[in-house]
Amino acid sequence: MGTTVGTEAKLDERIAFLKKQAQQVRLHIVKMIHKAQSGHPGGSLSAADIMTALYFDILNVDPKNPRWPDRDRFVLSKGHACPVWYVCLALRGFFPIEELDTLRQFESRLQGHPVSTKTPGVDATTGSLGIGFAQSIGMALEGKWLKKSYKVYALLGDGEMQEGVVWEAAASANKYKLDNLVAIIDNNNLQNDGYTDRIMPIEPLDKKFEAFGWTTRRIDGHNMEQILTTLREAKAHRGTPFCIIAQTVKGKGVSFMENVRGWHGKPPSDQELAQAIQEIEGGLK
Amino acid sequence: MASVKEKVQLRKTDSPTRKSFSERMVEYGEIDHEFVVFESDIGYSTYSYLFGDKYPDRYFNMGIAELGTMAAAAGMAADGRTVVVSGYGVFLTMRAVEVVRSFICYPHLNVKILSSHGGLTAAIDGVTHQATEDIAYMSTLPEMKVLAPCDKFSARAAFDIAMQTPGPVFTRLMRDPLWDMYTEKDTFRLGGSHVLRRGGDITLVSYGDIVFQALEAADLLAKEGIEAEVIDMYSVKPFDAETLLESARRTKAVLVAENHQKRNGLGYEIGTFLLKHYPWKSAGVKSLKFDHLGLEDTFGESGNYYKVIDKYGISGRAIAEAARRLLSGARR
Repeated sequence: MGTTVGTEAKLDERIAFLKKQAQQVRLHIVKMIHKAQSGHPGGSLSAADIMTALYFDILNVDPKNPRWPDRDRFVLSKGHACPVWYVCLALRGFFPIEELDTLRQFESRLQGHPVSTKTPGVDATTGSLGIGFAQSIGMALEGKWLKKSYKVYALLGDGEMQEGVVWEAAASANKYKLDNLVAIIDNNNLQNDGYTDRIMPIEPLDKKFEAFGWTTRRIDGHNMEQILTTLREAKAHRGTPFCIIAQTVKGKGVSFMENVRGWHGKPPSDQELAQAIQEIEGGLK
Repeated sequence: MASVKEKVQLRKTDSPTRKSFSERMVEYGEIDHEFVVFESDIGYSTYSYLFGDKYPDRYFNMGIAELGTMAAAAGMAADGRTVVVSGYGVFLTMRAVEVVRSFICYPHLNVKILSSHGGLTAAIDGVTHQATEDIAYMSTLPEMKVLAPCDKFSARAAFDIAMQTPGPVFTRLMRDPLWDMYTEKDTFRLGGSHVLRRGGDITLVSYGDIVFQALEAADLLAKEGIEAEVIDMYSVKPFDAETLLESARRTKAVLVAENHQKRNGLGYEIGTFLLKHYPWKSAGVKSLKFDHLGLEDTFGESGNYYKVIDKYGISGRAIAEAARRLLSGARR
């Protein structure tokens, strides 16, 4: 039987716990990418607070039974940010924390992009932008068809909104009134080649999703209180699919990575790692 | 080993393979309540609407959005459920090929692709609707199995094979009603084939609609004293290597004809297979005669089906001509 972690605690205590947890998540992200000397730190760090809230408060999952049929589903549609997912899964007990050191290595279960048949807790193979979100539609449809109470959560990047299939998926969620589907957009305004609003503008995302029949919320994606209360609202929401547009900073928590295009897919050096660890341990600014 | 049919009798049919496949899907829905069908807005063409009419809660019309449809099907199949995805071959196998590859074949999901308008059988619709590269795309993907039935009975059997084979299965179906040849008593299996006619001079291999053209070619050749063996390779991947080798050992000449690009079609597969596995010693020959008919690095066009396949060299007449040429040793 799956359980969320300590949902009974008071809100301010939960927030304090989650903030501490997010710090651990960030530390593991930079360490594992440094160890692999390959991976995507920027988009992992921008999603760290949201992912922590999901895995340590919201998601009803069972690490001992990763394919438990009644579990909440999670799809990392921005699959390149899998370091943050692997860390959350490891800290939640899906596999040993030491395994994080094998990221992207030969015969590792932790592939360069998430693979459902290899990693416990990975519900969908992703890595091709837009497709994970479109897969989450099928998962939510199945839940509706079977009259199950689980929810499907998909985390997307804002650059990913440029993929046409995202809007095919958004339309179908409206048609089938998938109120068991929650999309979270990690809106860090940076993609591989530069600022999202310059490469190919995708705003206003809230108006677009509302026009597609979704309920939307805009939040600060690094404010744990806002993250938690909005995710809890989404979890209880009925009637329409729910979209959270989370304003974030790419590379959040490590000053020299923050909002710098070059840290999309680059590992830190030894020196950079030491500084990153120091800054993360100092807490979010 | 494939069964050998005593006598093949062609009967005009009113049911194209796309319809027969869908009709079997409806029947199957009564015994298997767990699978669902995703359509991409051509249900009245693929006849998947028959399933939707009977089981509305198990039928999801995702609109004119093959990419999103295929990905949503992957999501619904993620925990093991069988999902049939219906659409036209060009769109399912090319627009959505990456989803089929990375998110259906790679995780080995039970997605069964109902793909209509294979080859030039959508002749009057023109190139945009003629899937003449579908076999190449699908058979190249690891884990994917590929079927190409030619008539009502083999199309119905293809549905059963698809459902009973774990993992992804692609079935190439046709737009137009052609002929029926098999009966309810004929059996089909993954990796199987049927020898439709025995002959010792040349082996004609084909699948789908071109099976009928190969039979016609065999009739034409018989009048000249050439006895052609005709194999219906309805299971394109995996194909029936045993039957092929046994036949080729006797005839020492193989001609593959397919309604598809020559490049990366079944003929390429069989050609390279024979190079490696042909039993030269027991055949008692030093050379095997081989040729391959299909689209020669070209697109098709609109027009009457029989005129189009004749122009592109895969009609019975064209196959017979190629067989004569091959046996006479002439080079094209």
